[in-house]
Amino acid sequence: MLYFVLFITSFVCYSNALDRKIFAKLNPGCDECSNNATTLVYIRSEGNADVIHQIWDFTKHLPTIVLCVGSLNSSLEINWERSEPVKFVWSEKPWYSFATAIDKLCEYEDLHDTGYIDPHYPQREYNLDGVSWVLDESIFTDSEAMVHVSGKIHNRHRKRDGIVSIKLDLLPFKDYAVELPHLVHTANSTLIDVSLVNLTTSRGFNASRYALHFLLASTDYPADTMHYTMRKSLDDEHTPGVFEIIEIKTPSLYNNNQGGYLQFRPVGYTAPERNVASSTVAHVSQFNRTVMPFDSTLRLFFRDSPSMILIQDMFVSFGDSGDGFYKQHNYTAWSFTMGYGSPPVEGFSLFVILIISIGLGVPIVLALSGVTFVLFRRYRQTNSRTRFTNED
Amino acid sequence: MENSESITARANMENTTSCCHPAHRVHRFIALILMCFLCFGSYFCYDTPGALADNFKGDSHLNTSQFALLYSIYSWPNVVLCFIGGYLIDRYFGVRLGTIIYMSILFVGAVLFAFGVYIDKFWLMILGRFIFGIGGESLQVAVNNYVVLWFKGKELNMVFGLQLSFSRFGSTVNFWVMEPIYHWVANYYGGYERLGVTLFIASMTCLGSLICGLLLGWMDHRAEKILDRREEHANDPPFRMLDILNFKAVFWLVSVICVAYYLAIFPFIALGKLFFERKFDFNPQDANTVNSMVYFLSAALSPFFGILIDKTGRNVTWVILSIITTIGSHFLLAFTFVNPYVGVMSLGISYSLLASGLWPLVAMIVPESQLGTAYGICQAVQNLGLATVIILAGVIVDKFGYLMLEMFFLGCLFIALIAAVLIYILDSANSGVLNLSPSEREALKMPTVRTDERANLLDHAESSDADEEVRPSEDERDSGLTQSDRIRSRYIAQILPNTNIPDRQRLTPSI
Repeated sequence: MLYFVLFITSFVCYSNALDRKIFAKLNPGCDECSNNATTLVYIRSEGNADVIHQIWDFTKHLPTIVLCVGSLNSSLEINWERSEPVKFVWSEKPWYSFATAIDKLCEYEDLHDTGYIDPHYPQREYNLDGVSWVLDESIFTDSEAMVHVSGKIHNRHRKRDGIVSIKLDLLPFKDYAVELPHLVHTANSTLIDVSLVNLTTSRGFNASRYALHFLLASTDYPADTMHYTMRKSLDDEHTPGVFEIIEIKTPSLYNNNQGGYLQFRPVGYTAPERNVASSTVAHVSQFNRTVMPFDSTLRLFFRDSPSMILIQDMFVSFGDSGDGFYKQHNYTAWSFTMGYGSPPVEGFSLFVILIISIGLGVPIVLALSGVTFVLFRRYRQTNSRTRFTNED
Repeated sequence: MENSESITARANMENTTSCCHPAHRVHRFIALILMCFLCFGSYFCYDTPGALADNFKGDSHLNTSQFALLYSIYSWPNVVLCFIGGYLIDRYFGVRLGTIIYMSILFVGAVLFAFGVYIDKFWLMILGRFIFGIGGESLQVAVNNYVVLWFKGKELNMVFGLQLSFSRFGSTVNFWVMEPIYHWVANYYGGYERLGVTLFIASMTCLGSLICGLLLGWMDHRAEKILDRREEHANDPPFRMLDILNFKAVFWLVSVICVAYYLAIFPFIALGKLFFERKFDFNPQDANTVNSMVYFLSAALSPFFGILIDKTGRNVTWVILSIITTIGSHFLLAFTFVNPYVGVMSLGISYSLLASGLWPLVAMIVPESQLGTAYGICQAVQNLGLATVIILAGVIVDKFGYLMLEMFFLGCLFIALIAAVLIYILDSANSGVLNLSPSEREALKMPTVRTDERANLLDHAESSDADEEVRPSEDERDSGLTQSDRIRSRYIAQILPNTNIPDRQRLTPSI
């Protein structure tokens, strides 16, 4: 019981300690930005000892998220030229930066029907640098910063435009996300949902699936590498049937326990109603070294020292063998979190601990009382028998 | 009447040396083989969804709740049918026609189910499984009747054991072969059609069993004519609701274990394949193999555990021990990544041990005249529990995952453990016989033993085996109508050497 109380106390303290004060603003410093055509969100999350600056940028077409950690005094100012950011000005240099961008959508013919993307498969790339993102929804309060943007993917091989929809959500406390796969978000991380809607299939492709092409950049030694780790949790309470948690860690995090990460469950969904039946598998490819795209937020952000940045790319593809490929549902959604610090580890829920405590406690108490009762009874029987013999 | 029949049979046997004669050893051996195959199809097809769980998700797009409904719907008709299935055979169908009717129902159910999958209509799958369930449990009763008819007074116990082990083996084989069959079919069909065709092939085992049933029916018809045998009809109603009022608290606690314990076994096997695939990264074939271990071990070990409990007595202790080891097995599966073979094999061993210890308890608690009712109640509540809880288990997997499912199983097992401990306490408090060793039980009954009565009872036990419920423990239900308490205490001693039989038999319908 004592352990139980200690656990609860530490759990509460832990989650309180992580809470940050957030200040979120859409297109800060931009006078000529129209509200739903230009989307650059800057969030300042103040903790006890540091500040995490987050930039969510869609203005240069490639959806980009940048996380920077600096001292409590650090601040960021963005210079604009009409509705485009041209410079990020720091009051003092941040300690560490980690950024992610989705630069391409890749349609590939899954010849072996495995869900994995192979460089040898026929592929068609859709560069996102031509996509204009529209802000559909946003929330900026003390306890949440959220934007929901969508962009049309035009393909001359198809009749209809497809839609890529991205939702970014920062909730500055530790909890499970409301929607499946119920990833853990903390004050140090942002929850990202990506949906690929109605992309249909190009002519000439019979077994096509889609993969997201990610760029990962961090202020680590350029010759180092990102680390892929897959761990298994005993607990699939929040993501039924999925025990794996995948983490992509920057070298700083991998070696020194402080750095950037992406965390997700290897599960995607093929319908807007996410449930076990609509779940599919998300696969991660190997990392490759690459360069920053020419006119991109990444290049703008790391302009002072581009050669000192570790930049790698990877694919995340979706599907499982025998599922009828993307065209079966014309929909794929996937969630991940991007954060700084140590990735959150999931613990057993209060419910699980309660069941075990009651389940173990009650029979043990019952068994002990039973044994005591029987022993007591035998003792009395023996006594009365002895007395009887004596009287005889 | 029955005695005169067996005398006729013996006389006939003495007169014949031809292996075509029904009383000849070879002839009965052929009948035994056919009897073993009678239930093979039903056991095989019962677990086909479990063996193809991931394909039901992938091809038919069933979620776990819908998938669990396929199992649940099987149990619903059996909540009632376990009372009347045998009664119908005795009063209306007769064992031959009854077997063929139940088997045809089974076959139709299996084919409808396969067809439902083939055209991807969920309601038809459910209807198929429902019809399959109508045939399933009643068939076991019919087959038990056959066994008694052919082997009473001879190798009855051994044959019961063999027949049941072979049926369990049907479940095991199902888990072994369905995956390769599915892959073979997948070369020719795609989507839900390949799953439907695979199930059509599986339903052929029911056709095979039906053919065995027809052959056995013909053999039995011939035997009846040659041996001048008549089918007996039980004179007592198989189930008397009023008996319930007389049951002691200990009986109800045993019923609680019957429900709670088995809830942690059968739904686990039904939903186990995906659990092994997802948590332990097993491929589908390996997941099926590990899943089949529970049935496989129970088929292999039940006879030995029967002997063990015959020799050692102390049933309640064994029951408590097996519940604790089952809890340990589920703990291993839920909270560790230890190779699941360890957890599942200890689960299979515990399950067999519990079965051997638990079911004879009923015979010791309830007067023999009420045994039919008692076993009927146990079976009905067990089916009711399975029918409702498998649905719940499916919902738990969909909403809260496999860890919560394991927690649920553990919760059920804790309830079973509490019930078992309470039985122990109540029994000790009332100086009961449940947890005594055989020698102590012997000592209790010694003053009442008389050789002539024993002979009489044994004779009666053999001859009334054709009772509609046909459990050896119940065989003596009729005889008990007029027995005094003195004879009853002796009856307990009689039944103990057979413990491995009543328990395994009784388990059959619930599987």
